Amino acid sequence: MSAIQPPAERLWWKQPLDRVEGTWIVIAFVWCMVMFFMMPYWHVYGKQNLSNEAYRTTPEAYLAKAQAMVDKHTVRTVTEQNIPVVHPVPGSDVYLVARLWQFWPVLELEEGQTYRLHIMSTDWLHGFSLQPENINIQIHPGYEHVVTLTPTKEGTYSIICNEYCGINHHTMASKLYVVKPKKG
Amino acid sequence: MSQVPASPAPADDDMHDEPVPMMQQLIDNPFLLLFLGVAMPTVLYIVWGVMEIVGIPIAK
Repeated sequence: MSAIQPPAERLWWKQPLDRVEGTWIVIAFVWCMVMFFMMPYWHVYGKQNLSNEAYRTTPEAYLAKAQAMVDKHTVRTVTEQNIPVVHPVPGSDVYLVARLWQFWPVLELEEGQTYRLHIMSTDWLHGFSLQPENINIQIHPGYEHVVTLTPTKEGTYSIICNEYCGINHHTMASKLYVVKPKKG
Repeated sequence: MSQVPASPAPADDDMHDEPVPMMQQLIDNPFLLLFLGVAMPTVLYIVWGVMEIVGIPIAK
């Protein structure tokens, strides 16, 4: 049977299906179904359940909000760049700015407390990769992404940029400190 | 006396005006397939995607 020649019958649809062709179709279809249902499965069981809460904003407006948080809740600074470490109020809105080539500020969150983490870039695309938890979010300029976050384990985590953003992309990393809640 | 065939042989379908099945009409129409191949992904991905992005609210 050749596919180059036109069909022998005018009503070729009614020709009985060749066994090999039928088997091939079944195998290909079953694999398509596997790949299709893997998507909702992994969404649930792989916990790929990223929030879709986002807002359009400008770098100026967003930086103002981040600066207000930094002004109120800075506890110390780190590195030669004097990046402020911020310990925000549990349950509040927390702002993280991604820009060439740093994350600003460094966040210190309390274990077991929930925060609304806002992430935005003031220039172009960056990535937010929380390691070793491996939570990955794309950071877009002009769009403020909001994630409701509850740190469950005390420790020091790394935030790295996993979206190539220029010559110093490899240096774009930060820390996330999770500490025991303050008493009183 | 002429003989009337009991049932038409397959080749006789070409002579009889039996309707072409819907699926065959679809697959035999390359320009319809071309249109669907462009229109379906454009609507389902591009148009739907742009509608979602345009619907993102402004930050307060």
